[in-house]
Amino acid sequence: MVEKSSNETLIGVNVIFPELQTGTITNEYGFYSITLPAGIYKVIFSTLGFKNVTQSIELTENTKWNLELEESTEELDAIVISQDIEKVNIRNPQMSVNALSINTIKKMPVVLGETDIIKSILLLPGVTSAGEGASGFNVRGGAADQNLILLDEATLYNSSHLFGFFSVFNPDAIKDLKLYKGGIPARFGGRISSVLDIYQKDGNRNELKGTGGIGLVSSRALLEGPIVKQRGSFLVGGRSSYAHLFLPLFNNENIAYFYDLNTKLSYKLNNNNNLYLSGYFGRDVFEIADSFSNTFGNTTLNLRWNHLFSDKLFSNLSVIYSDYYYGLTLKFVEFDFDSGIRNMNLKYDLKHYVTDKLQLNYGVNAIYYKFIPGEIHPTSETSGINAQKLTDKYAVENATYLEAEIKITEKLTVQAGMRLSTFNRLGQNELYLYENDNPITFNNDLKIYQKAPAIDTISISTSNTIKSFAHLEPRISLGYELNEISSIKTSYQRMAQYIHLISNTSSPTPFDVYAPSGKYIKPQLSDQVAIGYFRNFKNYSLEIETFYKEVQNRLDYTDGADLIANNAIEQVLLSGEARAYGLEVLFRKNEGKLQGWIAYTLSKSEQKTPGRTPEEIGINNSNWYHSAWDKTHDISVTANYTWNAKWSFGANFIFQTGQPATFPNGQYQYNGIVVPTFEKRNSSRLQAFHHLDLSATLTPSKNQGRNWQGEWVFSIYNLYDRKNAASVSFRENTNIGKNEAVKLSIFGIIPAVTYNFKF
Amino acid sequence: MKLVKIITIFLAISLSSCEEVIDLDLNEANPKLVIDASINLEEDGSTFAFIKLTTTAPFFNTNIPFVADATVSITDENGIQYPFTHSENGIYLGNLIPQDSIDYTLNINYKNELYTATTHLETAVPIEFIEQRNDGGFTGKDIELKAYFTDPAGVPNFYFFEGLSSKGDSFDALKDTFFDGNLIFGYYLVEDIAPGDTVHFNLYGINETNYNFLFTLLLQTESPGGPFETQPASVRGNITNQTNPENFPLGYFRISEVYRFSYTVQ
Repeated sequence: MVEKSSNETLIGVNVIFPELQTGTITNEYGFYSITLPAGIYKVIFSTLGFKNVTQSIELTENTKWNLELEESTEELDAIVISQDIEKVNIRNPQMSVNALSINTIKKMPVVLGETDIIKSILLLPGVTSAGEGASGFNVRGGAADQNLILLDEATLYNSSHLFGFFSVFNPDAIKDLKLYKGGIPARFGGRISSVLDIYQKDGNRNELKGTGGIGLVSSRALLEGPIVKQRGSFLVGGRSSYAHLFLPLFNNENIAYFYDLNTKLSYKLNNNNNLYLSGYFGRDVFEIADSFSNTFGNTTLNLRWNHLFSDKLFSNLSVIYSDYYYGLTLKFVEFDFDSGIRNMNLKYDLKHYVTDKLQLNYGVNAIYYKFIPGEIHPTSETSGINAQKLTDKYAVENATYLEAEIKITEKLTVQAGMRLSTFNRLGQNELYLYENDNPITFNNDLKIYQKAPAIDTISISTSNTIKSFAHLEPRISLGYELNEISSIKTSYQRMAQYIHLISNTSSPTPFDVYAPSGKYIKPQLSDQVAIGYFRNFKNYSLEIETFYKEVQNRLDYTDGADLIANNAIEQVLLSGEARAYGLEVLFRKNEGKLQGWIAYTLSKSEQKTPGRTPEEIGINNSNWYHSAWDKTHDISVTANYTWNAKWSFGANFIFQTGQPATFPNGQYQYNGIVVPTFEKRNSSRLQAFHHLDLSATLTPSKNQGRNWQGEWVFSIYNLYDRKNAASVSFRENTNIGKNEAVKLSIFGIIPAVTYNFKF
Repeated sequence: MKLVKIITIFLAISLSSCEEVIDLDLNEANPKLVIDASINLEEDGSTFAFIKLTTTAPFFNTNIPFVADATVSITDENGIQYPFTHSENGIYLGNLIPQDSIDYTLNINYKNELYTATTHLETAVPIEFIEQRNDGGFTGKDIELKAYFTDPAGVPNFYFFEGLSSKGDSFDALKDTFFDGNLIFGYYLVEDIAPGDTVHFNLYGINETNYNFLFTLLLQTESPGGPFETQPASVRGNITNQTNPENFPLGYFRISEVYRFSYTVQ
């Protein structure tokens, strides 16, 4: 199933046979398959953003039916979603998932006019972040490292640029994205809270086209076209920020910029075989005067081969290389620090459309990891820093899964799957051994946790295993159709996560490293149940879901843990538990000139780290405390209004309970230093967070029929200039000798203009 | 680590962000005893031994209450007792010249509770010279001072570094994991420092527990509540309340060799 002018495959197209009251949906590669009795049928092909196609088809034998769909322009009669089409979605037991089209995302008003995928998913129910400018996102109370972020099936380790102000995704290169918050199918694993599955466009197979935009802070350009007409295509897109070039005007010699490059080659070998080669390269660069410079970013390269064994068996083989690099140079101390994580991933996924009542998905997955916690090089002979290499760590993560989607009765569909995942921590140099395998001791007199001294250091060859883990992860979802327009769904999932982001800040920073499970760190395990009610009205849809999640082995840190360049991280880690529960309501208008949604989430997310024995105090005295991203109420409203061919308007309104904070409850002086004493962790809150953003898009009428199309996007972020608290610091004002609470706000009212073009 | 502070300041400078002093109602915890017991052995062999006792106060108070009615003494492992008497403002003075390799125990009796801690002398090394750069810091225009010393090789060493001047103070806790045996420096950067100002550098020898204490303490003061905040923590020192362990004191008891260097900014 492809888009007419570019031959770009289409994901999520509904293929409906109204007379049989059945249908299917195209997969991530635009492929669909359905088994029906012979006969003549009416078939409707429909998806948001495209004109419906209704055809008559006579089925006498196995048939390949490829189709081209035409994009619908806004002013045409709104897409008529008939009851027949909605029937399929109502029945699909997949719940807790939000699919967003890139067109919807591009219409949302954003900070500095930069369309941002991560900021858009924050508008969905169940998704929040630790604060403005926090990097990463949090799904259903989960931590930022518990999201599996896939770009064309390659794992990304850092989803943001410039400490969270921008995401790493160039919206022009993206075709489709889906966020799974629960009911995660067995084909996904490795992270316990969510899966953000993003696909890049393949590239126009018919003609050379380009898109791009020039904005206040960054610009982007993308070129796509055929290599071999109708068969092969390429796509190259780049984006770079340049705001730092204005800093010298403010007497500031610092540099902060990012750039990324998206590339893709696709080639259709024949009707049964397709090849894709995708790549992504992104970097952030910071320099502070002459003293400090910092570079970090993701690189991915993957090769995929789609192969159709038969009309019913679709397969995809991916070979993926992924690299996250982090480098730091401190010129005033004269050393370089490099760290990263590299992996090679082999995946083989099969989709078997057995009958119209049974679809099977199965496959295998193997990832080889190399964790490079860091290498320190002195940069000059006179440097006072010694060269040091923190021990590299190696691991292999494997999985195999089988899932079945079975239509049990007319009204009841089940998606049941099982995933078996294993993790082998391989040998390394310098493995520290401790007495009783205990890297942390508790000093009962001082009531503090202390690092246990290593009693021995051993080296184990990488072809041996230090420790291995295996977990069965059952996944099950049920969908029960109450009537033609409504259904109830319920799901249960168990997920295992073997790598952990070591970070004790409220949101990830670039200094954070990933650590594999092993002798001293156990994998995180989560169990989540969810129940939901889904209903379609004429132009609206309503989804109400409630969930409950428990996590075991959530890592926590001893007080004052020094995580940077720590070769024995196990000496500062404690194992705790986490839980989250909530209610999510999503009310959407999908048709007409006014479209958008209202999302409301009521939730709680907390964790606790009890002592390992009754004498130990644990963290926060073994009490539950709110996680840094716990927001009791989270309301997001987004709307887009198409007035005519020339103008369309967008608006966002967000309201959230203030984020948790730990406030001082006293002060003292030691050695002339004023030190605060603190209350229980995260027991207070900052003020409520809210802002209203507007945008207006002008498409000049002289565009019609022209090759070069441009549009102007005017946006205002934070219209009423609310100084939302990104954080509150407590410190001494040395000028007046008094203590103060100082609120830091990052974004006041920010107008922006972006010019977007395509040709 | 200073790194986090650097990034926080950098972000504040380079964005349209703004800082605003706000009013907050904060809870008040029960007062706790704070013990600042630092016995410093000078280069010339003399010691100015004083112990300062204060209590915690509500966060926005401008003055810190001091303790005048405690009984303070230090006893060494041979049983010799050194009494300390209160002079003024919570400062207790005594006569004690610390010897190498002898354990000293601090005893404080306050409100019928006994607080104790035991430690011994930790050595330091001399500050050899100061290097001044006029193009340092984040703007590239600040005066930056580095106080150089040579770390003894092959032994784990920990230091408390101070740079004090009328324009501002800078503190750092250092461990020699990355610079063992090398010529290394303590870093001093205060915005308003100008030629003619005098900066007093002090390098104290400390042990690992003291290093952890100071590291955690400085974290509380550098960016508590900032965007890259680490979780604020109650900083536990090495002093325990023998009578009522739950009512633990704040502060630390240390005995250090100290080397000082005064420098006038060029």
